Amino acid sequence: MLKNVVVYTFLTALAVVMIFPFFWMLVNSFNSEQNIFRLPPSFIPDKLFKKDMFENYKVVLKDYNFARYILNSFIVAGLAAVGQVFTCSLAGFAFARMKFKGSGIIFSLLLMTMMIPVQVTIIPEFLLMMKLNWLDTFLPLIIPSFLVGSFGTFMYKEFFENVPQDLEDAAVIDGSGPFSMFLRVFFPLAKAETTTLFIIAFMNNWNDLLRPVLYISSENLYTVTIALTQFQSEYEAQWNYLLTGSVLSILPLLIVYILLQKYVVEGLTHTGMKG
Amino acid sequence: MKKLSWYRPWHPWVFLLPTLIGLFVFRLGPMIFALFMSFTDWNIMSRPHWVGLSNYKELFTDSAFFEILKNTLVFSMIYVSGALVIGLLLAVLVNTKVKGVRFFRAAYFTPVVTSAVAVGIVWGWILSPKYGVLNYFLEHLLHINSPSWLGDQKWALLTVAFVQTWKMVGYYMIIFLAGLQSIPKQLYEAARIDGASKSQAFWKITLPLLSPTTFFVFTIAIIDSFRNFEIIYTMTQGGPQYASTTLVYAVYLNAFVFYRMGYASAMAYVLLTIVGLLTLLNFVLKKYWVKNVY
Amino acid sequence: MKKLLFVLLSALLVTLLIGKTVTIKYWMWDPTIKDKVEKAIEKFESLHPNIKVELTTMEPKNYWPKLRTMAFTKKLPDVFNMSSGYLEEWVKNGFLMDLTSYVENDLDKDKFFFNLFEAGKKLSGTDKYYAIPFALVVTNLYFNKDAFDEAGIPYPNENWTWFDFLNAAIKLTKDKDGDGKIDQWGFWLYGRYANIEPWIYANGGRLINRNTMRFDPNKQAIDTLKFLTSLTTKYHVSPRPKDMKGIKAKNVFPMGIAAMWVDGSWNIENIRRIADGKFRWGIAPVPQGPCGTEKVVFGWPDFIVISARTKHPKEAWEFAKFMAGEGLTIDMYMAGKIPSYKPLTMSKDFDEEGKQPPEKGKVLRELASRKLMNSFTMGWGEWRGYGPAESMGLNGLIDAVLNGDMSFDEMLQKAYENINKVLERYYK
Repeated sequence: MLKNVVVYTFLTALAVVMIFPFFWMLVNSFNSEQNIFRLPPSFIPDKLFKKDMFENYKVVLKDYNFARYILNSFIVAGLAAVGQVFTCSLAGFAFARMKFKGSGIIFSLLLMTMMIPVQVTIIPEFLLMMKLNWLDTFLPLIIPSFLVGSFGTFMYKEFFENVPQDLEDAAVIDGSGPFSMFLRVFFPLAKAETTTLFIIAFMNNWNDLLRPVLYISSENLYTVTIALTQFQSEYEAQWNYLLTGSVLSILPLLIVYILLQKYVVEGLTHTGMKG
Repeated sequence: MKKLSWYRPWHPWVFLLPTLIGLFVFRLGPMIFALFMSFTDWNIMSRPHWVGLSNYKELFTDSAFFEILKNTLVFSMIYVSGALVIGLLLAVLVNTKVKGVRFFRAAYFTPVVTSAVAVGIVWGWILSPKYGVLNYFLEHLLHINSPSWLGDQKWALLTVAFVQTWKMVGYYMIIFLAGLQSIPKQLYEAARIDGASKSQAFWKITLPLLSPTTFFVFTIAIIDSFRNFEIIYTMTQGGPQYASTTLVYAVYLNAFVFYRMGYASAMAYVLLTIVGLLTLLNFVLKKYWVKNVY
Repeated sequence: MKKLLFVLLSALLVTLLIGKTVTIKYWMWDPTIKDKVEKAIEKFESLHPNIKVELTTMEPKNYWPKLRTMAFTKKLPDVFNMSSGYLEEWVKNGFLMDLTSYVENDLDKDKFFFNLFEAGKKLSGTDKYYAIPFALVVTNLYFNKDAFDEAGIPYPNENWTWFDFLNAAIKLTKDKDGDGKIDQWGFWLYGRYANIEPWIYANGGRLINRNTMRFDPNKQAIDTLKFLTSLTTKYHVSPRPKDMKGIKAKNVFPMGIAAMWVDGSWNIENIRRIADGKFRWGIAPVPQGPCGTEKVVFGWPDFIVISARTKHPKEAWEFAKFMAGEGLTIDMYMAGKIPSYKPLTMSKDFDEEGKQPPEKGKVLRELASRKLMNSFTMGWGEWRGYGPAESMGLNGLIDAVLNGDMSFDEMLQKAYENINKVLERYYK
């Protein structure tokens, strides 16, 4: 009994530390500008349950264009995630079920390059994007993560390797070529892996800041992260709006996380690598 | 019976095509190009000059660079030890069989899925010396005179490293938890019968059997500890002075703000060397402390 | 028959005309006024039917890297915008066309604040005109009129001395609710160029020795730095920068936390947005220092320049001249920006009657006519600490003194070392 009390005390204290910033974000997103600068800080926002409760949200979504930025982030993160699934599932399949020269080398290169900090490759990448005339488009945000994914390839490879040989043989007898084998037999089996990879790739791209900072300059192409940092430098006096924007920027991911917790947590634990 | 081959030799390459393009165009190619650039002086405007090792020479004679290097390592040390110690602690805690523990697991994991930008912004607000809620409570309830967490030379780096660790620790917790749950229960049972205390069981059974997981966390945390651009960009922009500038942020500044592509590439290569060496060292030392149980 | 002839003739005429049409590429850095610039271009094209202009607008963040690669690949647009901070680098690398003979023979000098052309000459590090100024930003003193009234102090004017200023700042520093903490500071100072340099030049000081191109502040400059840092460290009339974390520097004055502030005139817009409806405020010249013998102003022009490789220098000049003067309208200038073209600056529209501060037109016009001073060099952003590097360079060093982390002498010592290290890279 006493032990439980101790455990709960610890659990709760830590939960406060981990959750308080989000709570504070939410509370202040229902504050007016006057109330947010009040000392002592008030824990009950002045707009809560009032008629204009969602005023800040309305202003941020409409006047500050966050609806647009959220849509942009969905497009970028969505396409990048689809790309990862596409690229990684194909490669994972090849590594798992086909024998070819160089397979080992390519696979280890893929894994090794995972540890390279993006800062090492970003300068040439930037110059390449400039040469391609892709600056200020979504392409540089999508294409690089569309085309390489070590974590996803690894995950698919592991999964496809464990698919029983019988299944493959049966498909061969049915006259399947490699493409229909992949599309009809293997890919549909990997639903859980696909969901996991999609979510994680989506999350990483949604949260990315460096590439939007370097590549995006038109306001109507902003993703939420770059929009938030711009907002921060231009309108920092309006903390209520800034924090409302922050809430909006994490809300989609939180919803995905709450609904699909199993995939998120398992996916991240499984191989434990991002990117 | 000879096995039927259902694919031609060129088929794997078709499947690998997107990956190969990505690998060469966005990883290996740029890596080689960056190495080449690190031996040049280039402002993207005029022709690049070959300058040999002089970028590296400049780096290693610049006192600011050593401060940046130190910051990078301090940040990594805080982050990695936080990941290991607090991560494990949380994992042990949420591994207890009490009601509602799933809720706590989920709660601790929440910061991991949110963006560093949003996290940086709200922490900036909490830590603000004038209107921040933390300093208000420290001063009025505990009567502690608290510093300007992000504006003070002594505190800025520690604060940013703390926030990043806070954000990511739930992730390492989950990995540790998986490790803990794979340790066979009978071992603890046997230890209890032999009269071992709880803490003895932790040191003698849990830790050694967990060592492969610990190794895994250690490796990943080291690599992750260099991913701090977002949090620094949002919270301090490297200041005050160079107090919270890490290599990652310095590369960004030199390349895309000062247009010193060669110098920034040299910095990036120092970064790559550090990451590589640490990872290598980790693997070399592995056999001395990681138990081969699986 | 006649009709057919007419048609044939006009067709011939059109082909001839099109054949002679020249296309000029123009790049500018402010997409927010794109439609206004397009209108100006339309007007230009109707005046010069043989010239067509292709406009490209980009945010500054993309503008500079992109422009640099265009220079590298020899594809620069014919005409483009240039900022004071980069002018020298572009001239030295030979990318800009020498405009001296055009400026001397084909320009109505009286219609411009011609001191800005001279400023451009100085900035280029040569004795030639490479750039046509189209706008000017200056620095000035902002003050909170309500706070002054409350303290019973007369408003700052152009005859204010450091002594008057310090006196006012002391009186304006108040702990209103008696909790032992200052609620209203007399002044707000931090290490940024637009906060520091105006005082230095108003005291006859200089940071850079233009002969050696090294950081070499004269006695007046060092005295000014001492005076400014003492406002925080000795007189305590300005908050330490680190205590203002969480509030953007540019919002301290508009939020009423400090009653005076020196910064660029471009802040007028931001102050209006935050302060209007809360208090009345005004602008004045920065107080003259005890050693300041001449009335000067710290500020800089924005320029329009022509590529050295343009195939149509004459047409490009016509267009650039138009876009620096008669083609522009006052609504292309954000509140605090001053047109270099006098008919615009002298017009009633520039006063923006009914908006704060009421004396804007008068004060800014007077400042625009003063001798223009600044300290741009190659590598300026790096040694001064600007943009994403704002916490570094001289900016960071001065802040360290204000924060009490560094002594004044140590700061000066480090400034010599660090700044000259950057300058040595650019000026062998």
